[in-house]
Amino acid sequence: MRERGRAAAAPERDDMAEQTYFEDVQEGQELESFTITPDKQQLVKFAAGSGDFNPLHFDEKFPMLKAMGIPDNITHGRFKYAQVGRLVFSFAGYKGRVKRFGVQYRGMDFVGKPITVKGVVTAKRQEGGENLVDLDVWTEDAEGKKTTPGTATVSLPSRG
Amino acid sequence: MADVFEVTDEIKAQYGKETDPWTYEVTTTSVRMYARGIGSTDPIHYDVEFAKQQGFRSIVAPMGYLGTPVYHPDTNDPTFGFPRRGGGARLNLPTKGLLDGGTETEYFDYICAGDTLIERSHLEEVKVRGNMVFVTNVSVFRNPDGKEVARQRLTSIHIG
Repeated sequence: MRERGRAAAAPERDDMAEQTYFEDVQEGQELESFTITPDKQQLVKFAAGSGDFNPLHFDEKFPMLKAMGIPDNITHGRFKYAQVGRLVFSFAGYKGRVKRFGVQYRGMDFVGKPITVKGVVTAKRQEGGENLVDLDVWTEDAEGKKTTPGTATVSLPSRG
Repeated sequence: MADVFEVTDEIKAQYGKETDPWTYEVTTTSVRMYARGIGSTDPIHYDVEFAKQQGFRSIVAPMGYLGTPVYHPDTNDPTFGFPRRGGGARLNLPTKGLLDGGTETEYFDYICAGDTLIERSHLEEVKVRGNMVFVTNVSVFRNPDGKEVARQRLTSIHIG
């Protein structure tokens, strides 16, 4: 498992996709997981990149936090979705294609808390001339609770 | 807990009603900012020449990023940036809280810097569970030639 995110001063290239081929994939195969621990600066960067400036994500005094009984700033759901996107994009590689990926936001994650991103191959099939691989994907909090479960489908190149 | 909201026939009659179109821009700067926001280190999101060497038109938008809606203070929400526009469904939803419920993106092509996308959204479904109202909208993104590039399903949870 790789540790990503926090304070990458020098540009790491660990996101670079090593190409996966359809023939090499097996049902039950786990994707290479990674962990990211977003600090407040990271969530502010995400706010700038995504355009979502909801203070829930960066202002610890935002009244709605207290009103909703939430103890700390919440990591954007879309930030977690994007981490799942990194996982599936890395799995597809530059020669593959992400066909679809979707998640539900079932549990909150909080600023400064680690999020581990995982996936497993659930099926592989050939359809419409494409080599498709179905995945279960999710994020876990530090206690191992799946806070962002979902599914994805990618198209992979063939070695043939 | 009694439901705080009723899905009336008037609401159901608005399913599928499209909004006016809105332009989303995908620029080298916006792609890099989003990539920074999610902590990606993949050069495919930063280095134009590298991306072209891999066969892409330009740097590739991270998965889940479908461009930034063109912003004007008179027409866009100051917190979330989304456009306030004509057409589409009109709902009077509870306002005690607003959370993301889920996101799903279907891709028909990768999105790269330099792309301009025309988006229209429509209400797909409203469901109620106790004090939570789940509202699912679908945004369809087309290139200027009218070809569908991506489709994103967004579920928001309005708390009453």
